[in-house]
Amino acid sequence: MKVKKGCNSTDVGVPVTTEEDLLASAVITPEDVLGLQKITENYLCSPDENIYNIDFTRFKIRDMETGTVLFEITKPPSTDKAGEKKDVDPNAGRFVRYQFTPAFLRLRQVGATVEFTVGDMPIENFRMIERHYFREKLLKSFDFEFGFCMPSSKNTCEHIYEFPPLSENSIREMILHPYETQSDSFYFVDNKLVMHNKADYSYNGGT
Amino acid sequence: MSVRMEMDISGVSRAHISILPASEIKATLKPEADRPRCASTPCSPIRGTVAGYQILHMDSNYLVGFTTGEELLKLAHQWSDGTQEKSSVSEAVASSIQSTVPKSVDFGIHRSSRIFKGKTRYYQPYDIPAANGRRRRRMPSSSDTFLRSLAHSEPGRSLHAPLPLCLLKGKRAQSKSLDYLNLDKISVEESSDTEVLQYQLQHLTLRGERMFTRNKT
Repeated sequence: MKVKKGCNSTDVGVPVTTEEDLLASAVITPEDVLGLQKITENYLCSPDENIYNIDFTRFKIRDMETGTVLFEITKPPSTDKAGEKKDVDPNAGRFVRYQFTPAFLRLRQVGATVEFTVGDMPIENFRMIERHYFREKLLKSFDFEFGFCMPSSKNTCEHIYEFPPLSENSIREMILHPYETQSDSFYFVDNKLVMHNKADYSYNGGT
Repeated sequence: MSVRMEMDISGVSRAHISILPASEIKATLKPEADRPRCASTPCSPIRGTVAGYQILHMDSNYLVGFTTGEELLKLAHQWSDGTQEKSSVSEAVASSIQSTVPKSVDFGIHRSSRIFKGKTRYYQPYDIPAANGRRRRRMPSSSDTFLRSLAHSEPGRSLHAPLPLCLLKGKRAQSKSLDYLNLDKISVEESSDTEVLQYQLQHLTLRGERMFTRNKT
């Protein structure tokens, strides 16, 4: 079992980048996305670029202060027949929407456990950068390194999200404007973007 | 910020996951029996499925809804197809919710599904109102909390809200049923105008809300 520390990118000294610039790039690096100032409108890579067949099979979040499990989801093995194509937008599988209650914004540390499988190729330097925005304001950027992953392995890793300090006004605005809090999750292997997932959030659940 | 990570690499071959296929999971949904209400009692691990995912646990004190892009697009298409499809959606959803709950568990849920069918035509993945239709005044600690939160039409808000731009842009290249939005006539410069797109989607949402209001009266 490996224990590794990640870091929170402060974006200090990182050149500003735009989505348009990155879409024109052949390769997108971690430093490229660290310079983004707002949520992207488009995905910066296609699903086909996940050549390592990284597949997330389980996800769980918990409050680190109490240990309370907030949410847990798993993805059963696909039952699709070989060669059977679904008439579904390929990007639709890369987006999720959460409806939180206001209480969620009062949490300080949330642990996110992710289980994933990888394909037949070894993965060097697997890394995730996740950036959360409210409207066009960057709330926080999280940077987690998974390190090396053996081929055809299943891996489990927990990341600790430390929530940024939020003013009461910010909390109020985030609650009043559902789904204007959004995130981009960028996944890199060998410093090259291979996956891009998105999510948006509301915090007015139960009100 | 300090980050602690623990990685567990389990062998070369992929371990078999002893998880029921999504199709079987629907038949195994078993909410826990009533327990004494206590703040320390955790929510029961009620299972549900969304777009092939299996929800193992959802603490409604913090999270009341989860959906995927696939579900949102599916619902948007069904909305755009007119009232007939909406009727079939509500029937389909009511039947899918019914199929996820064993008949022996709670007749109230079946009654609630009829109420659900009459009151709304939205797909609300976890919208199972509390038994007897009454709000329960108890500590939010047990499975009832989960069920009660569902009664507040929380998941329906995910449909009322505009679709994210990333889904709209992807769907524009493929969709036929969304043609009425004239997305293909939006110029490249306008395509980034989220306000235009959101206005159009709000029109769709408002139309649905008017129907909802009529149904209530």
